[in-house]
Amino acid sequence: MSGYERFVRTRSALWDDFETRLAAPRARHQSHADLETLALQYRQVLHDHGLALARYPGTGVARRLGALALQGTHALQWDRSDRMPGVAAFFLRSFPRAFRRHLPYLGAVTLLFVTAALFGLTLGIAQPAVGTSLLGPGAVEGMRKGHLWTESLVTTVPPAFSSSRIATNNMSVALLGWAGGALAGLGTLYVVVLNGLMLGAIVAATVHYGLAGDILVFMSAHGPLELTLILVSASGGLALGHALVAAEDRPRAAVLQDASREALVLLLGCLPWFLVLGFVESFVSPVAAFPAPLKAALGTALLSLFVLVAANPAARAETP
Amino acid sequence: MRATPDPDDAFSVPGDRILGLDNVPIELPLATAGSRSLAAFVDYVALGALSVGLAVIAVVVRFAAFDLSRDPSRAWWILGFLTFGFFVLEYGYFAGCEILMDGQTLGKRAVGLRVVTRSGARPGAAAFLIRNCVRTIDLLVGVLLMAFDPLNRRLGDRLAGTLVVRAARRRQALLVIERVPRGWQGREIAIAEGFLRRAATLDPSRVEPLARELLAALARTDPELAAQALPSESAFATLTRLLAVRESSR
Repeated sequence: MSGYERFVRTRSALWDDFETRLAAPRARHQSHADLETLALQYRQVLHDHGLALARYPGTGVARRLGALALQGTHALQWDRSDRMPGVAAFFLRSFPRAFRRHLPYLGAVTLLFVTAALFGLTLGIAQPAVGTSLLGPGAVEGMRKGHLWTESLVTTVPPAFSSSRIATNNMSVALLGWAGGALAGLGTLYVVVLNGLMLGAIVAATVHYGLAGDILVFMSAHGPLELTLILVSASGGLALGHALVAAEDRPRAAVLQDASREALVLLLGCLPWFLVLGFVESFVSPVAAFPAPLKAALGTALLSLFVLVAANPAARAETP
Repeated sequence: MRATPDPDDAFSVPGDRILGLDNVPIELPLATAGSRSLAAFVDYVALGALSVGLAVIAVVVRFAAFDLSRDPSRAWWILGFLTFGFFVLEYGYFAGCEILMDGQTLGKRAVGLRVVTRSGARPGAAAFLIRNCVRTIDLLVGVLLMAFDPLNRRLGDRLAGTLVVRAARRRQALLVIERVPRGWQGREIAIAEGFLRRAATLDPSRVEPLARELLAALARTDPELAAQALPSESAFATLTRLLAVRESSR
């Protein structure tokens, strides 16, 4: 009997058993003995695979063992560093840590946003057509009569629907600002600059029609946190872009993976707040019955709550 | 496509291989851009069907569960939930499927692909979320990046540190030579097994000449075995009998 024949005859029972165990539905609580058997068989299959690669490359047995080795690796090895923490641990530790590490990026995007907004405001005041072209003829006609287009948020479509639309739209902007970082940060910069310019130009249009106070009252409840969340998400995108273009002395793949995981935490920590803001922007901001100080107080409270979570002092103490 | 070694990856070795325990190399059957695009197409069809399903559920709920003549505002709530549901489907379908289905979406399962880490292991939820958060960008540049990357990675794969490989299919017939002629080594066995495995798909007029060539090679190293050939038997049948070809599981 040749070595190949002996190899196949003596080892195929093990390969069959290993394959059967891999194919079996994964029980939530596999016994320790089962796991040990599987791990031992995996090691044996790997050794057989190494032998087949060296002595019988290209044979059916080598191909089968190659597939089994890959299946076993996938079934038995799990990248534990990628596991997401529970909700409490996430908001108490992971998110504050990521937020703190991204503060320089947050500073950069904030500076950029403010610059773009001031530019848009200046441009809009000098050329009111810039702002009014962004709003459309209906909104401009309303402003001529002394009404902001925001009033239609509760008259055209009930807030039950508009809250969902606003929340999903804001989440899309945050996601785009984050993912845009993958284009060497250019996508993120585009989102930040565009939003800054638009905000500035629209405020300029309200200034032109003497409604600047009204728009600030409208924005006071949801605006501060909404802009903060978009900028925090964008800071994650900027960090991604930075990792892509400047890996420094570490392997780029490792830098990219670390940066994307940190940035993901930042994004996931921001998204739920948009749901709350969707309700505020639909049910509170456009309603004239709520006095301006109340809206401002709500906006300040929401922003403070977010900052309190993001700058959790307990997480700071645990930072290595 | 053979990959060049990736200096960034501690597990990488020359070729599209990884190092398993005790430094045993394991081949990574990388998925091609074509098969990945096909899987994505199936996924978008499934996503469209799920969206229609969600809309149908919303309509059924609207008419069956609520008396809208008494409270018409409920219709807007349903529409609000529907809008949010579409958003969740759009952004959550791929990551959700991959987290719940062990690295596969419906499209990947249909085409036979799976997402693994660069060391062949099972990725965690974070990796699945990251690779799908940049899907919008990858719709623009993904295929181009895959075409130029030795590991066929799109942008999301690079960020998440993942690869897409061909998943092992269900058990396939495996031909094994049970009688190895004298003088035959791994190379000869591989050639014979490869021929016998593919014989059914070859042009019938090519099967007999190739089988005769293999018999001639066999006769050179093991004339005793070759002498057992029967004149009335075809070359292919003789080869199958002499090598005691067995079709084992898988």
